[in-house]
Amino acid sequence: MARVITIDPVTRIEGHLRIDVEVEGGVVKDAWSSGTMFRGIEMLLKGKHPFDAQQVTERICGVCPLAHGTAASYNLDDALGVELPDNARIIRNLCLGANFIQSHILHFYHLAALDYVDIAAVANYEGKDRALKILKNKIVNLVETGDVYPFLPRHESEDYVSDPELATTLVGHYVEALEMRKKAHEMLTIFYGRAPSFVGTVPGGVTTGPTILNILTFKANLAELRNWINDVYIQDILTVAGFPAYAPFMAAGDSGGNYLAYGGFDEDRKGTKKFLPRGLIYDNEVMNVKEFDEEEITESVKHSWYTNQCEGLNPSEGETKPDVHKEGAYSFVKAPRYDGEPMEVGPLARMLVMKPKPLMDLVGKLGLLDKTPLKFGILPRHAARAIECKLIADEMDKWLDQLKPGEPIWDKKDIPGEAHGRGLLEAPRGALGHWIHIKGKKIEDYQCVVPTTWNASPRDKEGNRGPIERSLLGIPVPDPDNPINVVRCVRSFDPCLACAIHLVHPDHNGVKEFRVV
Amino acid sequence: MPGRTVSRRQFLKHAGATTALLGLSEALVPQLAKALQELESGKPPVIWIQGQSCSGCSVSFLNSNYPMVAGLVLDELSVRFHPTLMAASGYKAIEAIEETARELEGRYVLVVEGPVPTKEGGEYCTFGVEKETRDLMGHTVPKDKPINEWMKELVPGAAAVIAQGNCASFGGIPGANAGVTGTTPVMDIVAKIDAKKPVINVGGCPSHPDWFVGSVLDALMWIKGKKGAPDLDRYKRLRTFFGTLIHENCERRASFDAGLFLEDWNDHSPDMKLCMFKMGCKGPVTYADCPTRRWNSGTNWCVGANAPCHGCAEPTFYEKLAPLYEPLPDVNFIGLSPAVDTLGWVAAGATAVGVGAHYLYKQLGKKPESPSEGGDE
Repeated sequence: MARVITIDPVTRIEGHLRIDVEVEGGVVKDAWSSGTMFRGIEMLLKGKHPFDAQQVTERICGVCPLAHGTAASYNLDDALGVELPDNARIIRNLCLGANFIQSHILHFYHLAALDYVDIAAVANYEGKDRALKILKNKIVNLVETGDVYPFLPRHESEDYVSDPELATTLVGHYVEALEMRKKAHEMLTIFYGRAPSFVGTVPGGVTTGPTILNILTFKANLAELRNWINDVYIQDILTVAGFPAYAPFMAAGDSGGNYLAYGGFDEDRKGTKKFLPRGLIYDNEVMNVKEFDEEEITESVKHSWYTNQCEGLNPSEGETKPDVHKEGAYSFVKAPRYDGEPMEVGPLARMLVMKPKPLMDLVGKLGLLDKTPLKFGILPRHAARAIECKLIADEMDKWLDQLKPGEPIWDKKDIPGEAHGRGLLEAPRGALGHWIHIKGKKIEDYQCVVPTTWNASPRDKEGNRGPIERSLLGIPVPDPDNPINVVRCVRSFDPCLACAIHLVHPDHNGVKEFRVV
Repeated sequence: MPGRTVSRRQFLKHAGATTALLGLSEALVPQLAKALQELESGKPPVIWIQGQSCSGCSVSFLNSNYPMVAGLVLDELSVRFHPTLMAASGYKAIEAIEETARELEGRYVLVVEGPVPTKEGGEYCTFGVEKETRDLMGHTVPKDKPINEWMKELVPGAAAVIAQGNCASFGGIPGANAGVTGTTPVMDIVAKIDAKKPVINVGGCPSHPDWFVGSVLDALMWIKGKKGAPDLDRYKRLRTFFGTLIHENCERRASFDAGLFLEDWNDHSPDMKLCMFKMGCKGPVTYADCPTRRWNSGTNWCVGANAPCHGCAEPTFYEKLAPLYEPLPDVNFIGLSPAVDTLGWVAAGATAVGVGAHYLYKQLGKKPESPSEGGDE
């Protein structure tokens, strides 16, 4: 008999999302993703000075303030007609890149790893490594005092990595990763002042120019991070992915095969050349990357708590009138679609569009291309994130060499009486878009469509499930009281619900949160 | 201290970190070591819940440098519930809260990140479930439990409540929609439940990890009777962190006094640290120790990055300090005009009004471009 399981709260995701799954015969038959958070960021911006948009929107999300702040800067640049100096473009790339490193490390080690590694196995460590022995003693002490929070309690699973040597090494890396992600934040504050919320970009450019000293300091931090990503992060992904019990997760968790990347990290002044390319893929045809056309984005609200007149609009003309009593609705997240199709966004989408050699080598090694139909599930999503982290970190070193001390960092432009702007880029979690309408030198309208809106979207008017909902179909849940595989799948998307629901309607302006922990 | 062996040396080291954090004299170290050693009869339990937050203060907490966050989580605190860190999900996570509240009544510290919405029965922010009533796609499913209900359950048994960050303390950015969702600062919610319950506000958007960790440790030592009540200003913030004006301690104060203002970011040169006043700096009305403490392990701070302070530690952030990139209005300090009042200058009443503040506002009255008239009062 079918049974609906509600997971609330789902911890270790950013923000708040609630997942309901219908389980029958030990597998997920249907799924609903209902996320909402509704602080009214856009409404708050109406009537404000356009320069404030960046400082306010970076508070949409405490994990990705860099992505929002940078998107807001590009959005304003577009509206003001800025010709961004090369130094400013590169510094923005470097700092956004540093946040990719921070976010990806945080996601794998601190948000996801506890789903795979048995921390209790550390107590059985017999190895000789001094640091790991200290760690073992700490854990033993915690166990003996009966206080292993926040690592226990947890959902038990027979397939945790429980070999003492391996588990202890991975838990040791969890602790090291805390330092590494902190270092990535420190690195970006060289130019941006502080993190998470930062102050170093403004419409027209950046506030701190390159000097020999800050370039070298950045380089030294980056070198340490690059080593760690290569020697630890990538290796740990391979270890976990190669664990026999997790073999089904190569394909399980496939979101349907549609992928979208706006592209990010401009490599020229006009933004035509991007380090992470723009494009989209349908039905897992990874060799057939299509061109992106912004006009094809529409938002469906059939199953969202908004009036039907909001149906089918492009975000640049988006309308948001809530109707909390709407029949058949179950989420405050709208359902963005590209040419009517649900699209997965994020590292997996970007890597499949880009197809860098390290990824294709790994995909070949794992035999993923030999299978038909192609499917990229939970583990490829983690692997794509790690490979992207390495590619960006390596490229950042080259960007540092392109900085020119003494050259301009800002193109000063007056605020126009009326203008429209848009800023599209890639955030760690996927394609991010900001749109602005300036009128009377003030913000008339501000809209954001964020990565998790794509991934965690509910059903659209055709009844098509959103990517996370679709990915959950077929996920094994042998024990309905233990939905570990459901949360493994949801977490592989690195959802950020603080970002996903920032929608505002004029009558209600409500803030509503649901959580999936 | 069952099962825990911590050497006196380790304690001295930790106490050293703590005193540095609290800005206390090094002479206090031995005394503090003793206090902390006694605290170690079981690690202090912490329940950390999130209201209308962005998780930014949790991320900032992860940037804690001294003491390091791994040590805090593994060795110093027993983090019973934290939505972003804990292993458990769903009902297992909820059980961890309920057990802690039941078994450690009167002993746990309640950390609330983000303010609490109260309208519509509090349903604008929920986690966990209350009862099976909500109808979703034809199924009977559990009803979400509002954070306000959690507050009613958790506040009475808390030894102290920490409002983590500007929006938890004062409403902050989500507070701009308070009229709709009933966004309420944590201290006001607590006051309705138990007017005597101690609350410490930690300002900042996000809060500095030192401000947060220092506030928690200060509360813990007080709870255990190891020191007096926290020294709070009228906004319930520790004076140690929020007692000095940024403008007074700014490394670019000399440029302000000399009338050297940045007006074009291309003017920036490593040798010339220009004052950010004309770019909208809110340092003259913001109380926080950012200039000396700095951020991210001391790497930098906002003005250090050639950007204006946005006043994010102030109760008036964001709405009353906007527009952020426009200079503060031309106000007359001595008369405390209404304009000053709306800028949060009332904070001055709670803390020392530095002599330099006189200079500033005298200068503002006389146009900042003529610095020679200013600095001699």
